[in-house]
Amino acid sequence: MPIMLALGLLFPTGAPGHAIVLSAKPAVNEVVVGPDIPIKLRFNSRVDTRRSRLTLVTPDGSQISLAVGEAPSGDSLVAEAKGLKAGAYVLRWQVLASDGHITRGEVPFRVQ
Amino acid sequence: MTQLLDIFGFLSVLLRGISLSFEALTTGGVLFLWMARGLEGKEVRERALRWLTRAAAALAIAQLLLASANSAILIGTTDLRPAEVAGAGFWKATLLVLAGAMIVVVLARGLWIRSAALLAASAILAGSTMLSHSAARIEHRWILMGLTFLHHAAGGAWIGGLPYLLLALRRGGTDSEPAQLTRRFSRLAMASVALLIAAGAGLGLSYVGSAAALGGTTYGAMLLAKVILTGILLLFGALNLRIVRAVRGGASPDLLPLRRFAEAEVGIGFTVLLTAASLTSTPPAVDVLVDRVTGPEIVQRMRPRWPRMETPAFADLSPASKLAIPENSRLPGSFVPGQLQHPNTPADIAWSEYNHHWAGLVVLAMGILAVFSRRFRWARHWPLAFFGLALFLLVRADSENWPLGPRGFWESFQVAEVAQHRLFVLLIVMFAIFEWAVQTQRIAPRRAGLVFPLVCAVGGALLMTHSHSLGNVKEEFLAELSHIPLALLAVAAGWCRWLEIRLPRDRTQFVAWVWPVCFVLIGAVLILYRES
Repeated sequence: MPIMLALGLLFPTGAPGHAIVLSAKPAVNEVVVGPDIPIKLRFNSRVDTRRSRLTLVTPDGSQISLAVGEAPSGDSLVAEAKGLKAGAYVLRWQVLASDGHITRGEVPFRVQ
Repeated sequence: MTQLLDIFGFLSVLLRGISLSFEALTTGGVLFLWMARGLEGKEVRERALRWLTRAAAALAIAQLLLASANSAILIGTTDLRPAEVAGAGFWKATLLVLAGAMIVVVLARGLWIRSAALLAASAILAGSTMLSHSAARIEHRWILMGLTFLHHAAGGAWIGGLPYLLLALRRGGTDSEPAQLTRRFSRLAMASVALLIAAGAGLGLSYVGSAAALGGTTYGAMLLAKVILTGILLLFGALNLRIVRAVRGGASPDLLPLRRFAEAEVGIGFTVLLTAASLTSTPPAVDVLVDRVTGPEIVQRMRPRWPRMETPAFADLSPASKLAIPENSRLPGSFVPGQLQHPNTPADIAWSEYNHHWAGLVVLAMGILAVFSRRFRWARHWPLAFFGLALFLLVRADSENWPLGPRGFWESFQVAEVAQHRLFVLLIVMFAIFEWAVQTQRIAPRRAGLVFPLVCAVGGALLMTHSHSLGNVKEEFLAELSHIPLALLAVAAGWCRWLEIRLPRDRTQFVAWVWPVCFVLIGAVLILYRES
C-alpha cells in the first residue's frame, strides 16, 4: 500500500544503534583540573575495547588518539590524557558493542 | 563517507530484519521436516527441501551482507585494518550462522539427516543470539542469551514453519494426510507459542523492568507494538485451531480458510520479525534513565489541535546544512556513525506538521472514497489520489533539496534520507497505478491485488524501523507514538485486504470493511500529528 511509503517521506530517518553512555568522567561540560586527566566512559553494554576508539579534540582543533584501556567490568573505556593545557576540549568516542552495534558520541569538558 | 555510512547504518537494520526472517524460515523448515516425519509425501518433502535450501542460502547472503556493512562502517570510521575487524565478535557470530546455513543447504540437496539438520539449526540460532542485546548485557548475560535462543527457536518453529505447512497443504497427499499434518503442526505451534511468550516475558522484564520504562521509552513502545502484533497472530492461530478441531470432530476437511488465515499469520509474523530487528537496534528501556517521557508529556503532545492548513514561508526554515560534516562540528552525546542531526526551529516544525496534516486529509479522503466505492462506481478511482500525494511529498518532504532547496536533484541523492524518499515516491506511483487498475477491474485482482497487502506489510515494517536517533531520545519517542499506530493500522489494512481477495466470497464481509476504515484512521492519526 503506497500510504505507508508516503508516510516514509514524512518522518525523519536515522541510523540505528544502542550503546549509550551511562556515566562519563569527566562529565559533560565539567571543569577539571589539569594537566593529567583520567578518563572513564561507562556504557549500558559490553564493549569491544580493541575495536573502540577515544579521540581528544584540543582547543586548537587538533586531534589526539588516546590509548584505550579496558575496565574489568567489560562495559567501560578508560584512558588518560596527559599534559593538557587550559581550554575547551572534546572527547570523541566510538564503541563496538559485543553484539556488533557501533555507536559514536562526544563529551565536551574544560581544563582549568 | 558520512553519507555512505548513513546508508549502511539504515541498511543494517533492514539486513538484520531480513536475516531474522530467513533464520525463521530455515530453522522453521528444519523443525517442520522433523515434525512431519512419516507424514509428508515424496513431493511435499522434495518441495519443502527445495524451499529450505533457498531460505538457508538467502540467510547466508543476508548475514554476510550485514557483517560486511558493519565492517565497512568500522574500517571507514577508525584506523582498524580488515584483518583486525575480522576478529570482532560479530564476525564469529556470522561464521556460526554461515556454517549452520551451509550445512542445511548441503543436507537438503543431498542426504537429509534430521539430527545433523537440527544441530545446524542450533548453530544458526546460537550465532543469531550472539548478535542480540543479550550478548552485550552486563548482568545475567548467559540466562538472557538462553532465553533469546529459546525465543528465536520458538518463533522459527511457529512463524518459520507455517509456510512449509501451507506448501504441504497446497500439494496435498492422501485425503487424511493434510488433516493429520495440520493437527501435528497445531500441537508444535501451541508449544512454540507458550515457549515464545514465556521467554519473551523473561526478556521483557529484564530489558524494560518497569511500567514507567514501558510507557516512556521507544523500546517500551515498540515492544508493546510487538505484543499487539503477536496478539493478532494468536487470534489467527485461534481461528485455525477452531478449524483443526472441527476437522478432528468429523467435519468436512475443508482447509481452504485455514490456509488463508495461515497466509495472513505468516505475513504478520514476518512484520513482527522486522519489528524485532528494530528493537535490537534500540537501547533497552531499562538503560534509558534520564530521557524518559512522562505521562503528562505524552498527554500534552497528543492533545488534539486544529490541523495546520497554512504553510510557513520557505525563507523561515533552517538553512540547508552542508553535506560533508566539518571535522570541528559539534556532535551529540551519543549517536550512530553517519547519523545527521536536524535541530528543528518552530518554522521547521510548522512546515512538517503542515505536510502531515495535508497528507492526512488526502488519506482520510481516500479512506472515505474506498468505503463509498462499495456502492458507487465513481469512487473506485480513489487510488489516483496517491499521485497528488506523491507529488506533494516529492516537493515538500525534503525542503533542503530539489526542487525547493539549494541542493540539486542529483546532488541530493548523497543524503540517504532523500534517496530513500525518492525511491518511495517512485513506488507510490507504481502501486497507485496497480491498485487503480485493480479497483477499476482493468486487471484481475487475484494476483495483482496481492501487491497491495505485501507493500503494506513492508511499508508498515519500514515505518517501525524508520527512525532511531540517539541524539534526542525524548523527541524520538514522541515521534514513535505516531509511527506505531500508523504501522499497526497499515498491517491490519493490508492483511484484511489480502483475506478479502483470498477467502471464499461468503466469508469476506468483515475484512472488506476493515481495511477502508484503517485508511480513515491512518488519515486521522496524520491529521492529529504534532511535533511540539
